[in-house]
Amino acid sequence: MKRFIFRRVLTGILTIIIVFALNFVIIKMAPGDPITTLMGKENSSPEMRQALEEKYGLDKPLPLQFFSYLKTAATGDLGISIIYNRPVSEMISEKVGATVLLGLTSAILAAVIGTFMGIVAARREGGAFDAVSSGVSYAFNSMPAFWLGLMLIILFSSMLGWFPSFGMTDTRAGFTGAAYVLDVLKHMFLPVLTLTLVLLPQYFRIAKSSVLQTKNEEFIMTFKATGMSKKKIFNKYIFRNAILPTITIFGISMAYLITGVTLIEIVFAWPGMGRLVMTAITQRDYPTLMGIYLIMSISVAVVMLIVDIVYALLDPRIRYE
Amino acid sequence: MERLLTLENVNVSYVNKDKKVYAVKNAGFSINKGDSLGVVGESGSGKSTLAMALLRLHDESRTEITGKALFEGKNLLELTQEEMNALRWKDISVVFQKAMNSLSPVHRISEQVEDIYRVHEPHASKKEIEERMIYLLKLVNLPERVYRLYPHEMSGGMLQRTAIAVSLLHSPKLIIFDEATTALDVVTQGQILEEVVQMEQEISMTRIMITHDMSVVAASCNKVAVMYAGEFMEIGYVKDIFKNPMHPYTKGLLNSFPSLKGENETLHAIPGFLPDLSKPEPGCVFASRCPQASERCRREKPACQELKDGRQIACWLYQGGETHE
Repeated sequence: MKRFIFRRVLTGILTIIIVFALNFVIIKMAPGDPITTLMGKENSSPEMRQALEEKYGLDKPLPLQFFSYLKTAATGDLGISIIYNRPVSEMISEKVGATVLLGLTSAILAAVIGTFMGIVAARREGGAFDAVSSGVSYAFNSMPAFWLGLMLIILFSSMLGWFPSFGMTDTRAGFTGAAYVLDVLKHMFLPVLTLTLVLLPQYFRIAKSSVLQTKNEEFIMTFKATGMSKKKIFNKYIFRNAILPTITIFGISMAYLITGVTLIEIVFAWPGMGRLVMTAITQRDYPTLMGIYLIMSISVAVVMLIVDIVYALLDPRIRYE
Repeated sequence: MERLLTLENVNVSYVNKDKKVYAVKNAGFSINKGDSLGVVGESGSGKSTLAMALLRLHDESRTEITGKALFEGKNLLELTQEEMNALRWKDISVVFQKAMNSLSPVHRISEQVEDIYRVHEPHASKKEIEERMIYLLKLVNLPERVYRLYPHEMSGGMLQRTAIAVSLLHSPKLIIFDEATTALDVVTQGQILEEVVQMEQEISMTRIMITHDMSVVAASCNKVAVMYAGEFMEIGYVKDIFKNPMHPYTKGLLNSFPSLKGENETLHAIPGFLPDLSKPEPGCVFASRCPQASERCRREKPACQELKDGRQIACWLYQGGETHE
């Protein structure tokens, strides 16, 4: 097991380095260069160009440039935004908390509720609960997240006035302590509801089909033949075997969630990385964009790493490749 | 000889809405303590259905079971599931066909054995269970370390031996091997059969061996029951039936597998297929494939009757105890 974790961590680091390199190469391949921008339109002095290149280290060979980028990034320095003229790492760290709060809450809620519903539906396959939740989950699965978000705003904010439609806090109220937490929860409700409803169906379906499949496994028949109680068989043997695909889906859906969150953040004016991504893309703010991509790929790699380790803990067959 | 299990008129049918398909019809036989009965027949003949019915493992909403299966005086087919649970594994256990899937892949053997053992002995200590299982593992020629392994760390043969050891946990009075050696290669199958037969000399055991393979019966059973399309054609001692098969179907089965001794002979497959069980014919179920079928065979069903050597047979050729050959 230790060896598995060690190897898995190494591949995780390798993945991040490859993403790093790809990011770097793509930006280098893009037309234009920052020196021309810095020198201004009417300036073509080769001395100045050389001086600037020396200053930014752009005269060095590409691999050297890459390693110095890697080195500074490792210390947390992701460069300075061209548009905002502020350190990228600072800008990201301001926004990342709100995004993680939104994304992780929805991911966990969807996984827990969806899996639970799937298990209940599978236990009484063809029953009323199964029929209703299957139908509802198909409906939500086919809805675009941003559209659902807009509909929820119309219903819960405009018509009923129960929840605020935008932002993370009420800036005018200036809440502190418990009141602040409550305020954030109120603001979170609609975006989290949107993301959860969209993510939930896949957990529901995976959990349901996987329970149904496990129920028909030969070893379940063995346990029935031993006279073991249905409850024990279900809680221990069916559950443990059926939960495995859910964990895989959790890892995969994280990647989707990161892009999905961006869109939902814009719909609900959530002060997360979504807005930052949008402006960085539209205004070609390369350092910011690279920084965000890096953070995204690292978080996906970390989630995948955790998922793999959890999977290996639950399924002994994974530990030995 | 003490009777252990007596089947009388057991019918098993699968019910789907208004449709009803007979899988086992009028099954009747008896087993004494210490017997080993081989139930043979081709795929779809109802052998496994019968085994599952005895264990009451069918989905009861889709299956209809009638008749009597007296196990030490109790009718297995009338017990409640709770009463059945009290009996399962303690009195009757089973070894299934797919060894690879017969235990949970994500739990160690030890953990599963503990859970299975504690169904009937809730207060048994880990140590006690381990000692019992290791004794049984030795009985099936497996090393102690198997107890700590996961199923995927073992070969098919090891797993099937483990499954046999697990089935013996509570020294059941009856063990049903449901095609238990079918998925194994012939060499392993042979070894396991030999071990089982040897084991039975050490511990008293009564066994039903469900198989489609006549050679498995020859190697490991003293009695044989030949099944076709859900009905028993011929039941008797292995020594009698293998030497002198009487029912045309038994003859066909014995002709379709090679003998190890004697000269090379041509193997004969039985032409035709199993009849459609959802549309039962009035006559003998084997009539459409039987080389000796007469008009009467197609019209009337022959009753099962006992001959002088104790064998039971359902065939018009032998009605009245007379042999026509």
